[in-house]
Amino acid sequence: MIRLTKRVEFCAAHRYVNPRWSEEENRRVFGRDANPNGHGHNYVLEVTIQGEPSPDTGMVMDLKALKDLIVETVVDRFDHRHLNLDVPYFKEKIPTPENLAVVIWELLEPRLDGCRLDRIRLYEDESCFVEYAGERGERV
Amino acid sequence: MPESEANVSEPGSPVVEITRAFRFSAAHRLNNPRFSAAENRRIYGRCNNPNGHGHTYRLEVTIRGPVSSDTGWVEGGQTLEAVVRAAVLDRFDRANLDREIVSEDGPTGTTEVLAGLIWRLLDGNLPAECLCRLRLEETPNNFFEMDRTGLASFGGPKRK
Repeated sequence: MIRLTKRVEFCAAHRYVNPRWSEEENRRVFGRDANPNGHGHNYVLEVTIQGEPSPDTGMVMDLKALKDLIVETVVDRFDHRHLNLDVPYFKEKIPTPENLAVVIWELLEPRLDGCRLDRIRLYEDESCFVEYAGERGERV
Repeated sequence: MPESEANVSEPGSPVVEITRAFRFSAAHRLNNPRFSAAENRRIYGRCNNPNGHGHTYRLEVTIRGPVSSDTGWVEGGQTLEAVVRAAVLDRFDRANLDREIVSEDGPTGTTEVLAGLIWRLLDGNLPAECLCRLRLEETPNNFFEMDRTGLASFGGPKRK
């Protein structure tokens, strides 16, 4: 079994707000991230897949095909958008890097054929990243 | 909606890992007083230089937990930076590790030993069981990783 990773970048704006809370409560919990006018990040996304190299091609998956899939399902929807306003998945969910990684997993996972999605790693900046491998625990 | 019904209709919370990276600069010298000077030089080589040397260490701290449906965050992520700063960076940065951090009768301050020490300093200040991995880079070419499975047997070499 081999893992392979494709890295792409996208830039987007967002803000953190829980609509069930007052503005004061949002400001208390999320601090500057609750700024109503939003802010942005240069995200770096690493998509890792796993599988057996094909005996015909020697590839787990054609890297160009993987890049095209990531661009079509993620980058074209998220890049240079406001995640809260322009991306329907974040009408209800707060666009934290945690939730972004989960949404990206759910968008990509059903689209892979002949290999498995291993891990999503999403950098918000060079000193902070989140990872999601499809695992679910207790509901909180 | 009753909680039991919600549990049936929705899958559990996704479990996500979040990593933050930090830097600190410190001096040290690898030397075990149980060994002779010649033996220390043979084992630790240039790292045994009597006047010490230093590194800009890079530390990655990873915590793990379910994503809260209220905040979209993993618990502990918001305070991680402050905890690492207070427990590690404020003590380790610009310090002489042998004289100020690793006690005289403790183990030699290799990066392996430092990783174990940092684990214990952080684990008690974070929500229970949420610390899941440390990566300590001595230089961009040398790095050391540990997780909870490596903790039980962790002691480092004895100096006396």
